Amino acid sequence: MAESAHHSSDMWVFPRSAEVTEFVTRKTFTRPGPVTLAMALTGVLLVLGIIGFVMKAAQHGFDDHTPWGYYAAMFSFVFMVTSTGPLAAAAFRITKSHWRRPLSRVSEIFGILGIFNILLFIPLAIVLPTLNNPDVGHHELALRRSIWFEGPIGSPLWWDLFGVIFVGINALALLWLSAVPDMAEAYEKATGFRRSLYGMLAGFWKGTKRQWLIHKAGMALLGAWYFMLLIFVHFIISSDYGQSMIPGWKDAIFPVVYSLSGFQSALGLILIIMFILRRFGGYQEYIGISPFWSASKLLLAFSLLWCYHMFSFGITYWYGRTELEQNVLKYLLFGSYGGVFAGNFFFSFVMPFLVLLWNPVRKSDWGPALAGASALIGAFLFNIRIFVGSFNAGNVYGEFITEVPPPVYPGLSDILIVIGGIGGAAFIYLLATRIIPIISLWEIKEGLLYQKVDTFIRGRYLVLAKPE
Amino acid sequence: MADQRFDHKWGMVVDLDRCTGCQACVVACQSENNIPINTKDLFLQRRAYEWIRVERYWEGEFPNVKARFIPIMCQHCENAPCEPVCPVYATYHNDEGLNVQVYNRCVGTRYCANNCPYQVRFFNYWEPVWPERMRNHLNSDVTVRSRGIMEKCSFCIQRIRRAELKVEQQERAVLDYPTMKKRNFLPACVSACPTNALTFADQSDTTGPVNRYFKALDDHEGGESAPRAYRLIEEVGTKPNVIYLKKVDKYPLKNGGGHG
Amino acid sequence: MQEGRVLPARQINRDLLGSILYSPRWFWGAVAVLGLIVMGGFAAAGLMINQGMGVTGLNRPVMWGFFIVNFVFWIGISHAGVMLSAILRLSKAEWRRPATRAAEVLTVFSLMTAMLMPLIHTGRPWRLVYWIYTIPFIPYDFARGIWPNIRSPLVWDPSAVYTYLTSSILFVLVALIPDLAVLRDRTTGLPHKIYTVLAMGWQGNPRQWKLQIIAGVLLSALILPVFVSVHSIVSWDFGMAIAVKPWHSTIFAPYFVVGAVHSGVSAVAFVMIILRWIYGWQDYIRHEHIDALGRLLIVVATGWFYFFVMEVIFGFYGREADEIAFRDFQINQPPWNLWFIFFVGLTYFLPVAMWLASSWRRNLWLMSIACISVNIGMWLERFLIIIPALAEKQLFTFTWYTYAPSAVEITIVAATFALVSMLMLLFARVLPLIPLYDVKEGDILKTEIQIGRRTVPATFRED
Repeated sequence: MAESAHHSSDMWVFPRSAEVTEFVTRKTFTRPGPVTLAMALTGVLLVLGIIGFVMKAAQHGFDDHTPWGYYAAMFSFVFMVTSTGPLAAAAFRITKSHWRRPLSRVSEIFGILGIFNILLFIPLAIVLPTLNNPDVGHHELALRRSIWFEGPIGSPLWWDLFGVIFVGINALALLWLSAVPDMAEAYEKATGFRRSLYGMLAGFWKGTKRQWLIHKAGMALLGAWYFMLLIFVHFIISSDYGQSMIPGWKDAIFPVVYSLSGFQSALGLILIIMFILRRFGGYQEYIGISPFWSASKLLLAFSLLWCYHMFSFGITYWYGRTELEQNVLKYLLFGSYGGVFAGNFFFSFVMPFLVLLWNPVRKSDWGPALAGASALIGAFLFNIRIFVGSFNAGNVYGEFITEVPPPVYPGLSDILIVIGGIGGAAFIYLLATRIIPIISLWEIKEGLLYQKVDTFIRGRYLVLAKPE
Repeated sequence: MADQRFDHKWGMVVDLDRCTGCQACVVACQSENNIPINTKDLFLQRRAYEWIRVERYWEGEFPNVKARFIPIMCQHCENAPCEPVCPVYATYHNDEGLNVQVYNRCVGTRYCANNCPYQVRFFNYWEPVWPERMRNHLNSDVTVRSRGIMEKCSFCIQRIRRAELKVEQQERAVLDYPTMKKRNFLPACVSACPTNALTFADQSDTTGPVNRYFKALDDHEGGESAPRAYRLIEEVGTKPNVIYLKKVDKYPLKNGGGHG
Repeated sequence: MQEGRVLPARQINRDLLGSILYSPRWFWGAVAVLGLIVMGGFAAAGLMINQGMGVTGLNRPVMWGFFIVNFVFWIGISHAGVMLSAILRLSKAEWRRPATRAAEVLTVFSLMTAMLMPLIHTGRPWRLVYWIYTIPFIPYDFARGIWPNIRSPLVWDPSAVYTYLTSSILFVLVALIPDLAVLRDRTTGLPHKIYTVLAMGWQGNPRQWKLQIIAGVLLSALILPVFVSVHSIVSWDFGMAIAVKPWHSTIFAPYFVVGAVHSGVSAVAFVMIILRWIYGWQDYIRHEHIDALGRLLIVVATGWFYFFVMEVIFGFYGREADEIAFRDFQINQPPWNLWFIFFVGLTYFLPVAMWLASSWRRNLWLMSIACISVNIGMWLERFLIIIPALAEKQLFTFTWYTYAPSAVEITIVAATFALVSMLMLLFARVLPLIPLYDVKEGDILKTEIQIGRRTVPATFRED
């Protein structure tokens, strides 16, 4: 394959099959300076976040949910991005897209954050107000307005908790299953701690045909299951911690917008990581332009869909113009959180749209990464807007939101919590990349079998196989 | 006193405590507004025209039972859901607070009827037919609607227009409630109501019976001065120009009756 | 598995132009039968226009009935075209090739049929001059100061539909040009002259090909927003109605769009099977194509199901007594409960269960059943959204009623199905329903890759 190693367009790259394992494991087992620095930095942020959390807990306790708005926003942001991350690999594997191959493991490593998400969720599980109104007053309901009809045993709390736990476990399982062949292969090269870990997790792997078939079926099943589970958990988290906290807000499209924000921001973050790996990580031979080009089309589609869904929410509420609808619009879109919404709209739609509109930009590595960063910021603002808004919308047992509360600005502990949560997630991800190869060895090698460059009339073109 | 004209905004108050369910308003409306004769067939097809209808509900189980009546006509909502959805502006709000229907523009999409929470819009499914001998009884001030057209209560706009023309334009006098009542300018249902359950006047006319209720509801939302007043299905945000007064139940049903 | 052989271009021409050049004997018989049904529909509409809307089953609470249900249904079918040709073209799905033309043509004809429905629905079609730009070159009646109300979804709706219709026709025409040139070269007399005009001087030189490809890709991209807007706006005909609470849902737009794609793609799969059967196009519409459509449909159906569940759940959300009572009425009370079970089963559970097995997807009979089932289900979906919501719209019980269609409505609805079938057949008589050049292009790009002892089908790509 020597002649094809430098394919003209740089769209698809062909590393030498024999060198893949050697190269990637060497990169995984070393820790270059910038990575050490980043880990130290994010580690400090994580410690700051813990300090912020302790401050918050000492100051306000867990009885009242209102001070925890920024915590909820941070959790939702981290959860939204990291839980949706593994989906990219699973989904593109099911659609048999060849361009996914360098991207798969980057996306799957997000599975490691499942545990982090479960830990983050525990305080939120405590502060969620009960469905039953403790003391019913005038203009108040005996039960909070939410889908869950029976409390406390059928209450949202248990659904949410088990949802987050199952998503975490499923994501870990996906990561493990996908990494088994790689870990078995890297076992030879590994030493010390890594060697024993690989032996424990993948020692059974011999690479027989039967094992590969089970592996393939397992990936597809776990992936499809993860997709459905995740959509469901997005629905319950977004509606229990967002929608049902604003009395009377009933908006069927909101979970969809939430999931879309998740797809968009997770894909965005994956593209950023791919960009860093390609430009600064020394993976040029593995990451061509084609994953950027193909994923950026999806990112563009998600941005457009996000705008479309927001519009179809907005127009229905605007046209309905009941007091409730007007108040929700004033509170979340144009009044109290108007500035945040403007930012959200700009970063989630305008900016990615304007960047990705151009094919030459889509066909670069920086363009999709830029749009991805924008989508990530947009998703962050989205979560701030929704969850800080919903945690401070007044009486959760009210009939509907009768007046528009002012926005809530973050205090010191809020800022520490937000940066700490995000920093902690980054820290754990970085840690995981030192243990699990960030490029999926088996997928790259499999891909090499399916592609070649061949003569077509007068030119040399790429040939891609479509196995059924 | 010509300068003391009202900037008209009409309103109706329906006192449910006075309504006996006699249907005189329905008959008066039928003859005033050239409403086609509601045959048995039309009723069975559920296509009868009743610009004002008296809805009757039973409270309690026989023999411990009471009939409840509520006359419902077009509420002339300030924020009428029927108006924005009409593609041809066949229904719009005029500057006197009335929701008016332009028969000539109506194309018959029937969207307005779907979007009316009070179900007070009527579609001419058939060409209206009157017996030959009734031809000359039709009110010449009111259009006879052909089939395919949406129609509804107009607060007897022909009477209002006549009143404005005669009193305000020709006599240069103030069109206040006593004048309207004396010279029979009130809507047909109001002038026919034997118990005065229906009252109609300009909302800002202090000589009229409706002013205090609108003032009470608009100023302090219920308030002490009009504890019985409410608007129908107001949670939809329609802001009707019709106010209902709750029934005073002096002798409630034993053991609270059954379902309402 | 690549099943098709690479055929010589001459044979492709002969096979695919067979429906035009050597019309089968049953053709005019079939057209006549369908034409009779269509005439029946026109007669029924004439009767209705003559007698008044009274001949329908509509009544006071239920002002919209079969016509509007059918309107939404046909608009839904029309979403197949862009889904298959634009989206799959942009995503470079190879298996789209034989299905694109049929999907596009189905789009055009179903849109035309759909737009007949509001015309009939109002009962006095001549009045529509005030409402929509129905007659070419006769604009709104501005001279008399009668402007349309742009706040009304019923003005957005025809605007979107006509834009979609225009762009779909353009799309079909652009894709037709190379095939028209083939036809031009193989006909004589008057047809030859017509094809000559339509082919617009196509010589097949590189520049023309380049322009044609650019036009196709551009139209694909530009038509996408129109595609999404059409059914969104149709959904807003309902979603904007605040007085009908079950309609006033924020999710209606994407829910309707996904549902439209679901029924549209199913309809195209069914049309493909019929074409394969009547014209003997086994070499072109192969099992792999139907199989791929089936797999696409699993995804679309599941997406639709998600939106459907969201819509129902958020009906209950918020514990509003009236909304819960309505859902109970729609889902639990006879006769709606029976329809509801049919609707969910036919739209999702039955067809998706059938599509899950590859051998069932490749069985044309079972595939036809699944596709018809989806379309019956989607028709019922629109029925169950529109009718029960209106029947018990008012908060007071006094005006509640129900709805049963009259013979006139049923005839007209049946006639629309005959109309679309007839138009498709007539199209097949004059223009190729499978794009010749697209099939040839696919054949040229086909190649194989040897992996060990296995040979895997592959395609050349430019990127």
